[in-house]
Amino acid sequence: MLAEIGLAALALAFLLTIYATFASLAGARAHAARWRESGRRAALLTFPALLLAAGMLIIALMTEQYQLTYVYEVTDPRTPPFYRFTALWGSQRGSLLFWSLLLSAFTFGAISLNWRSERRLMPYAIACMMATLAFFLGMSLILENPFERWWISADGQAVARALIPAGATAPTEASLRAGAEGLNPLLRHFGMAIHPPMLYLGFVGFTIPFAFALAALASGDLSSGWLRVTRRWSLIAWIFLSIGLILGGRWAYDVLGWGGYWGWDPVENAAFLPWLMGTAFIHSAMIQEKRGMLKLWNMFLVIATFSAVMFGAFATRSGVIDSVHSFARSEVGFPMLAFWAAMTLIALGALLWRWNRGELRDEQQFANFLSRESMFVLNNVVFVALFIAIFWGSFALPIASELFLGKEVTIGPETFEFYVVPLFIAMYILMGVAPLSAWGRMSAARLGGALKLPLMLSLLSIAALILIGTNAAVASFGYGVVLFAGFVALYEIYRGAGARRRSLGESPLRALAALFGRNQRRYGGYIVHLGVTVIGIGVIGSTVFQTEVQHTLARGETVAVGAYALRYDEFTRAQAVDGRMMSISDVTVLRDGAEIARIRPRVDEFPQMPMTIAGAHSTLENDFYVLLISGGRERATFRIYINPLVNLVWWGGILLIIGTAIAAYPKVLPERPQRKREAS
Amino acid sequence: MADVNWEKPKNPEKPKRRERLKFISAGVVILVSVLYLLVSGTLQGARYFITVADLLEDPSYLERTVRISGAVIGESIDYDSEQAIIRFEIVNIPSQYDDLASALHQAVQDPLAARLQVLVEDAAIPDLLQHEAQAILTGALQRDGVFQATELLLKCPSRFEESTAPEGLSQIPEHL
Repeated sequence: MLAEIGLAALALAFLLTIYATFASLAGARAHAARWRESGRRAALLTFPALLLAAGMLIIALMTEQYQLTYVYEVTDPRTPPFYRFTALWGSQRGSLLFWSLLLSAFTFGAISLNWRSERRLMPYAIACMMATLAFFLGMSLILENPFERWWISADGQAVARALIPAGATAPTEASLRAGAEGLNPLLRHFGMAIHPPMLYLGFVGFTIPFAFALAALASGDLSSGWLRVTRRWSLIAWIFLSIGLILGGRWAYDVLGWGGYWGWDPVENAAFLPWLMGTAFIHSAMIQEKRGMLKLWNMFLVIATFSAVMFGAFATRSGVIDSVHSFARSEVGFPMLAFWAAMTLIALGALLWRWNRGELRDEQQFANFLSRESMFVLNNVVFVALFIAIFWGSFALPIASELFLGKEVTIGPETFEFYVVPLFIAMYILMGVAPLSAWGRMSAARLGGALKLPLMLSLLSIAALILIGTNAAVASFGYGVVLFAGFVALYEIYRGAGARRRSLGESPLRALAALFGRNQRRYGGYIVHLGVTVIGIGVIGSTVFQTEVQHTLARGETVAVGAYALRYDEFTRAQAVDGRMMSISDVTVLRDGAEIARIRPRVDEFPQMPMTIAGAHSTLENDFYVLLISGGRERATFRIYINPLVNLVWWGGILLIIGTAIAAYPKVLPERPQRKREAS
Repeated sequence: MADVNWEKPKNPEKPKRRERLKFISAGVVILVSVLYLLVSGTLQGARYFITVADLLEDPSYLERTVRISGAVIGESIDYDSEQAIIRFEIVNIPSQYDDLASALHQAVQDPLAARLQVLVEDAAIPDLLQHEAQAILTGALQRDGVFQATELLLKCPSRFEESTAPEGLSQIPEHL
């Protein structure tokens, strides 16, 4: 019954999307309020319909309905309830349904928040959102149905069908339970419970800005409305995508056991590409708001971000690219490619049409090379160059070489690093210079004056690093550049709060709070810059100074590793509640002869594969990260990593998210500053 | 929602010739730098992604860095934990296939498929290194016939894999 209800809800949602698309378009073209309203209601209804469909699948997962092939594939009788729930996005079909559910939720939110304020844009935006949702639901219904069930056909063969075939019967529960495959052990990690939903929220979220951009192009309403609403939704999508990327790194660090968090794998890169384009847009949108410039470019960036999301979905779900993440060659590949190409071409066509009609002309021109708008353009160039380099290495080069040379050519992580390190250096320098520049005009002397203090602090930091014995020149230079961006952000916050203190006589804390309250976007942005600075420090520390050794120790034996020592204490075998056997080693971490931590690196034996679970002693200074390679009661082999400053990557990520939340938080009351004179 | 300062142009300013020159020069410098990065990086780091059969048939690949893919033979896996050296064998899988799991299964069953010995130094043994896993290796074939890998990637078992018909259900119709 669950499957029937789920299937019916899915089909209903699909019909609603088709209706909403046409009703909204008809309402917009014919200026018919009734059709527009009808389209809006149909679009709103897709959310409860999909909530019902996803709810049925979750109930099926939780209550072990193994006749559903999806439940059979991703769970087994030993799967704990928590992972039964997260199995909703544990494989292709569930994740497609989950994607659709999130898109309908975003659509619901966009309609609820923007229907009144953006009346002219909304019907077109709804049509675009619904067309996208219709595509995903169509794939779920036709190619990747999550409500498909096992049947035994009349000739005794097991077949998977959504509806019962003629003469078929249902298999017994016992035989289904015995064969159920269980969730991939790599996905049994808390990070995987949050990482995919966050990533999907980011991907799906970028559909809303795209829909508003397309609506502006279709309706011809290219005033500030579309940009205002698009920028806010972009920030929301950007927060989720950032959280998803950071959690993905954390999951790789904890689970994959190689002491790293980013491997330049095509699947990772596919998620990073829309983030780069989205970041470029968030910056360049400010130029359009402040100066009426870059109208064409901003529209292009919104389209490119959505296009990157759809291309990433195609590349990672179709199996066209070899990745360490496993993706079977699935039938969704061609439809996804076709949809990506169609949406991108339609949007670019509409953009060129409006541009050709002169409706996207800038209101001002770049008059000064050192102005803030010029710096923002340079910042955009860096993000686009990063996008091109990563897209080239991940997708364009392998696909083009296969097509034109008949042999696939690939590049490795070291080449990606060769591409991106100079571009990241340029990004950090611009993060430092741009905030100190002024809109419109800026002289070299004034900019030089403003840069003096942060530059001096950066040079002092480099000198201090050399003095304390940092012998890697590259790292010292890198720290200097990264810190420069951070010092500028701190300097700007300090200057802003100082100005309020002097002119309004506020206390330091009140001045700081008022500063952020009055200009959330600017100062929230500086917190984001600080977060990116902290991430940069963590990345340099953990890549340049990483220590990696392997030792076999007798029980009770100690080995020195850097400033630490490791003692192998005990080895035990135990069984977890879900039945898996665990080989657990107890080790003690020592520093200067004193015990500082006891950790338990272990190996879990799942039916499909073993899973090495690292033990780590984490501090802000570094991670002492230990893997149990092989073990017995008397001797065990450990691989030991010391990852300096790696935790700053996660803390920087948190800072980045806090900053973005400040920047995106809706402003309720515009505060009127009280002059000190008036107060007294 | 944030308030927007939509400033209509009062006196649209045209950039002076000197400023325009600066923009053009900066654009050219950036374009050339990015092109240089892409071209030089690709020329240095590019390597063919070939099959085991291609590698063994063409002597020009000897001692050249390439990327290969093959199916792991489980019983050949040997890990020296003292020296941190992994040794195992892979067999050829075709460059084109419909279903990876079937391609890997057929490859390890085929006694005539091209086989290659692999050596990976200073590495922890990956959890996914098991029978019928797909190994993607970067390294070079040495004169002794062993492929010395500097990078070993293994495909996760089927996160998005299509469901296959469970044998148990079709074989026990009397249970229905």
